[in-house]
Amino acid sequence: MVIYTVSALIIGLLVGIAHINNSVLALLTSNTDLILYILMFSVGISIGMQDDVLTKIKQYNIKIFIIPLGIIVASFAAGFICSLLTGIPYSYSTAITSGMGWYSLSGATISKLVNAELGSIAFLSNLMREIFSFFIIPFIALRFNYYTCIAPAGATSEDTTLPMMLKYTNEHTVVLSVLNGIICSFFVPILISLCLSL
Amino acid sequence: MDIIIVMCIGIIIGNFIKFKQTKIINEKIQLISTIALIFAMGVNIGSKENFVDELASLGITSFIFFIIPTILSIFVVYFLTKRFMDGQKEKGE
Repeated sequence: MVIYTVSALIIGLLVGIAHINNSVLALLTSNTDLILYILMFSVGISIGMQDDVLTKIKQYNIKIFIIPLGIIVASFAAGFICSLLTGIPYSYSTAITSGMGWYSLSGATISKLVNAELGSIAFLSNLMREIFSFFIIPFIALRFNYYTCIAPAGATSEDTTLPMMLKYTNEHTVVLSVLNGIICSFFVPILISLCLSL
Repeated sequence: MDIIIVMCIGIIIGNFIKFKQTKIINEKIQLISTIALIFAMGVNIGSKENFVDELASLGITSFIFFIIPTILSIFVVYFLTKRFMDGQKEKGE
């Protein structure tokens, strides 16, 4: 996924710099609304198809929401700090940090709903978050606690960073990691949309 | 707000889909639409006249937007799990 999306970004940049223009490109760039709707519909289907989520939530009770709640609140608060540091309006900066590591979706969505520059900041910052997670998880497992390993991974804790959880934490944390990823992934599009309407 | 409605419609429909084949097709649709949107984003940024000049500032801003939420998430989750969750001593010991 990383290779595909980073390649798409680089090729897109080169096409843009070269000012290449043809009917296929025009068709693509003029129908990004439709593509975004298809993506969101598809994300919804993925969430809807998750098996036994409610059963697991009941099994692990209300405490399973502590980690995603912490990640969401911290990411949202960080958006305000970033707004102060960069001068980017807080509605945009909170939308960017609401990506919680899901770089492809946040980059594409913010690019479409705001502009390409903020979309690229969302893409790069959330990509950095995912890559950084791979390196920091072993350190957190050693110095903090297993649960905290889920924090940097954010919405990616159910897929790309899950192998690191498997290697450096325990079975209980891995289950919480999957559930956290599902919950955060569910909230990413909602938070982006809500933040942009602030 | 439109995107939330579209996503919710997807969730409702997804609840009724149980075929593994659909999951594979759905993942491909997600990948293709994501790539198309990221590519379009690249074209938009690249076609800006002063893109190369803005590249450094884009990198610094992205770094700020990466490091602050990540570090803050780590400390907030550590505090919450230590305070409210069982087995807070669970680590490599």
